[in-house]
Amino acid sequence: MKQAVRVIVNGRLYEEEVEPRLLLPYFLRENVGLTGTHVGCVIGECGACTILLDGKLVKSCLLFAAQADGKSILTVEGLGQNGSLHPVQEAFIEHYGLQCGYCTPGMVLAAYYLLSKNPDPSEAEIRLGLAGNLCMCTGYVQIVEAVKAAANRMRQA
Amino acid sequence: MAETKYVGKTIRGKEAPRHVSGRGNFVDDIVLRGMLHAVILRSPHAHARIAKVDAEAALNHPGVLSVVTPADVQSMTRPFKPGRYAAGLTKPIFEYATAVDKVRYVGEPVAAVAARDRGSAEDALELISVDYEPLPAVVDTRDAMSPTSPPLFEELGANLAWRGFLTYGNIEAAFAEADQIVRERLKIHRYSSTPLEPFACIASFDASTQKLTVWVNAQVPEVIYDALREALGLEDVRVIIPDIGGSFGQKIHLIRKYVVITSLLALKSRRPVKWIEDRSEHMMAAGHACAQEFDVEAAVKRDGTVLGLRFKEIDDVGGSVSTLTIHFTNKLNNLTNTYKVQNISMEGYSVVTNKCPVVPNRGIGKPGMCFIWERIMDRIAEALSLSPIEVRQVNLVPPDQFPYTTPNGNVYDSGDYPALLQQALKSIGYEKFREEQRREREKGRLLGIGVVVGVEPGGRNAARDLAIFPEMKETPGSGGVNGATIKLEKNGTVALFLGSPNSGQSHETTSAQVAADILGISTEKISTSTPFDSDLAPWGVAAANSGNNFHLYDIGAVHGAATRLKEKILKLAAHVLDAAPAELTIENGTVHAPGSPLKKVTFAELGKIAYGNQALMPKGFEAGLQTTFYYTFPHADTNLVPGSDRKVRAQFTFSAAAHAVIVEVDRHTGKVHVLRYLIVSDNGVVINPRVVEGQAYGSAAHGISVALGEGFIYNSDGQLLTITLTDYGKSSTLETPRIEIEHHPVPSPFTALGQKAAGEGAAIPSPAAIASAVEDALRPLGVKVRELPLTPEAVWRLIKNAQGGNSKFEIRNSK
Amino acid sequence: MIPATFEYHSPRSLREAIDLLSAKEDVKILAGGQSLVPLMKLRLAKPKHLIDLGRIPGLNTIKEQGESILIGALTTYAELESSELLRRRCPLLPQTASTIGDVQVRSRGTIGGSLAHADPAGDLPAAVLALGAEIKAVGPRGERWIRTEDFFFGLLMTALGPDEILTDIKVPVLERARTAYLKAAQRTSGFAVVGVAACLKLDPAGGCEEIALGITGVTDKTYRPDDVETRLRGKKLETKLIEEAASGVCRNVDVLDDINGSKEYRTHLARVYTFRAIEAALRA
Repeated sequence: MKQAVRVIVNGRLYEEEVEPRLLLPYFLRENVGLTGTHVGCVIGECGACTILLDGKLVKSCLLFAAQADGKSILTVEGLGQNGSLHPVQEAFIEHYGLQCGYCTPGMVLAAYYLLSKNPDPSEAEIRLGLAGNLCMCTGYVQIVEAVKAAANRMRQA
Repeated sequence: MAETKYVGKTIRGKEAPRHVSGRGNFVDDIVLRGMLHAVILRSPHAHARIAKVDAEAALNHPGVLSVVTPADVQSMTRPFKPGRYAAGLTKPIFEYATAVDKVRYVGEPVAAVAARDRGSAEDALELISVDYEPLPAVVDTRDAMSPTSPPLFEELGANLAWRGFLTYGNIEAAFAEADQIVRERLKIHRYSSTPLEPFACIASFDASTQKLTVWVNAQVPEVIYDALREALGLEDVRVIIPDIGGSFGQKIHLIRKYVVITSLLALKSRRPVKWIEDRSEHMMAAGHACAQEFDVEAAVKRDGTVLGLRFKEIDDVGGSVSTLTIHFTNKLNNLTNTYKVQNISMEGYSVVTNKCPVVPNRGIGKPGMCFIWERIMDRIAEALSLSPIEVRQVNLVPPDQFPYTTPNGNVYDSGDYPALLQQALKSIGYEKFREEQRREREKGRLLGIGVVVGVEPGGRNAARDLAIFPEMKETPGSGGVNGATIKLEKNGTVALFLGSPNSGQSHETTSAQVAADILGISTEKISTSTPFDSDLAPWGVAAANSGNNFHLYDIGAVHGAATRLKEKILKLAAHVLDAAPAELTIENGTVHAPGSPLKKVTFAELGKIAYGNQALMPKGFEAGLQTTFYYTFPHADTNLVPGSDRKVRAQFTFSAAAHAVIVEVDRHTGKVHVLRYLIVSDNGVVINPRVVEGQAYGSAAHGISVALGEGFIYNSDGQLLTITLTDYGKSSTLETPRIEIEHHPVPSPFTALGQKAAGEGAAIPSPAAIASAVEDALRPLGVKVRELPLTPEAVWRLIKNAQGGNSKFEIRNSK
Repeated sequence: MIPATFEYHSPRSLREAIDLLSAKEDVKILAGGQSLVPLMKLRLAKPKHLIDLGRIPGLNTIKEQGESILIGALTTYAELESSELLRRRCPLLPQTASTIGDVQVRSRGTIGGSLAHADPAGDLPAAVLALGAEIKAVGPRGERWIRTEDFFFGLLMTALGPDEILTDIKVPVLERARTAYLKAAQRTSGFAVVGVAACLKLDPAGGCEEIALGITGVTDKTYRPDDVETRLRGKKLETKLIEEAASGVCRNVDVLDDINGSKEYRTHLARVYTFRAIEAALRA
């Protein structure tokens, strides 16, 4: 029996009827058409699918679309405003906090969430905040630098 | 070197904006109308005969449109012929895209289903019934060496599928002359760089034109192109490669099987078919780096000079012969590492086992070679009571000997190894650390330091394997070829078409930097196209996305194409401005002639002429402003193709680095904490510092993780126990140390800009660096580090065994 | 990757949830989903019905009730971590919750889910055992309180009946207690290869008035090492004594042997972490 899902994604309302077993990242990618949320594993261990659900940082691949009914989601596509990039996104570009880009949407959101809770994190706190997002390319060094730079920029703004 | 505006600087990356916005274009982001979704049925057995496959129920399941079984694969496709990676195979063994009569590893593809949605396809998969006749699994390398182990390939008879021997110089004399022989046995385990995006492909067949188009995240288009034409007998194949979520050598070889399977489903169903691999499949069957065992002997003089090195290597290549010798042959690339040894011999054995086949994962055999060298150097230091630094210094190729030819025929283009080592020692504070180590040992702390050096060879020579396999029937080619096309558009912007796909190495950015400097235009006016499209891209045998090949062939091609285009631009501009080409200067997309500030013409104006105004073109001028250049390495002459002396330029450029690492070992848990990790790196002229640093950080982080615990584990039945990233032990931000890098570039005299490779890089010496540091930390306990990984338990056991098996539980510190 | 088909139910009240649980065959309860959904995606669990508790109000409150604190089953690890009340009155829970997984896992994982799932390496089972907590189960025939020492039976097995839902956890307000949770964490996931929750109370003279330890990751369920506690209770906690007592942490326990640790190493780790957890609690 299909489930009705009414969900706000990046500020826009979507209403769909979905199979109960439709996982949330596939709903976002196929029904909503936003392919920034990626799938990199099966059991929710890599973080590539990370989004914000009602303001909390979560792994979307461990959620069914049906569970998102009545909720509000922020994906990486919703971060910038009117075509300009969020300071976190800018910092990732400037400091080369990415290589292949596959972990990047989840990583950027994790950084965004971290800075919203802790505007001046130490390196250790940054690493803790991003511990749920695996990257196979960068060795994390330039990611940490990007987050530090984003924090500085946002504190000055 | 002339001051450049873009090369040498970290400019804003061209790829990054789309990725941080979630607008990357990966295979799974692509949707074709009417597309079906495929899933693959894989073997649950490590070794078994396939008696019967019944897919009838699956085919009748709602939503299913097509099924492929081993019978289909046998009747509709031709097997892959043993290629370059299987050089050394004594009998031709043909492998199909799926298993046909036998399965030889858990996860081997057996059948496939295509349905309207992925869920239905997975439901239908459960309805395929396969009758297996299990056979005893051959898992242990030693067992595989035995002639009585149940053969994986009846045609071969034994599981010892290859042995070979190669020697350079006079190894017997070296050993006779030695003051001492130092021996060691070493082991490294199976691991993988596990790209975050698993395999993915879409196949679409146009029956009206008989053209097959595939979108695939493969690194080497040629492998896919050839595989499809060979297996499916199709003439017209188009390979499109969009953004790739990491490759590291994993997406070169076995991926071809899946493109064939997906294409078969497309052919049978007459619909486009998409197949997306999941993580567990990738862990089981996408390919592993080879587990290797080494028996090493060094003939040394009292002062530490290595007169000769010989080693015997056993490679466990898994359940396929298609990558039989790659980890051995690749050792030719860094055979003598950074050392001046003149006599060296290598003996190799490849065994097949019921495990995932090996693939050219980052470094391919070179990390093993560096591990051999850097472990034996430490052992030599111990045996001769010299410092490990002294032993290395005595053996380094001196800087005044470059270009330097190694005994096996490599020509090291440039390098200053003593300077790298010195800088590393200085920056890590070596002497100060030794004092601190002494002090802290009194308090019971186990601190250690490891300093190693390693070359990073770059730029493929397709003829290399002839050194080991001179009898290869199908000549693999020689040198390398790849191209680039540059087009000045009629609006004055530049379009750049690379001959290679990319997976995060910032190819678009760095190639734009090179072109911008030559053309005199801003990088912002240059756009580089992804995806790679085999119909359009100027690609050759070296089209492979790897830092290893890109720095040489693609950058060389871009350099060549841009240079040619500049000539054309100046020729046309000279005509328009009534000046000599030699008098002209270009600034910011405008060509200036001397004499008057009014004597100038913009690229856009030139474009309008070249594409539309014949009357204004000079006589004999080829219209348009587009050039293509295919690059081959211009200094390849010496040892390009090996002669009877087996000497060959395995690769063409040689970056190098010194790594220094400080660790602390928790003696009670065996856990190793990396306190500092420093790299002093020579990558020649650096085009974009952040890009090169990113490659060093990433490859070092992986090598460290490999050394300290990540890895594949099989049980004695050949079941893979590590099919999740968690069980496999991938490092997160918490397990990865901070890494420091310093540049010490020594430009190559042979490349267009003086650039050398940056890619495999730090993955090569890092496992050895960690091993060295951990052994140094545990030296007071008499521990020797010979094997990876150094998991906490492994380290704990080393400590325990060194203390005579004393397992008495005692927290309070013993010295 | 895609679970087998199921019917999804999202009750708005506990009553409705209990009725559904009794009425349907082959049902699983969905709380945070951090353990269940992976199993479903691997098709190791194929429930025909999923009851999502996420829309039932009032299941994630934390409130003081006399000498206890009542915690709703759907309280997330993040909520445990940040609860001012728990930090002051029962710090072992936030201490433990903060070590679980990563930020994303802590946003969704729930204490009720963790206890009902009873993963043998679960962190919260060890903590609640050390706290001597009580667990409330509600079913069609009413509600009951189960002591944690009677709750964990074995590998993924608890005292919960098939028609019962875990709704609350009651933990004591800790007066003068010193607590710590330490674990040898597996790389990547942070799972406990061995985890030790320690809860101590010292008498005015500095001797050990009360001690309770919860051990996880060592065997098929979390347990209290009576041996260790008996040797330390009523004594002055000197280093040598703690060390000696800790060496008995695996006595009469069938220690696990897997890719994260052999039996021998795990036993050793358990001793080390028992020692370290007690020392850490002493310093708290």
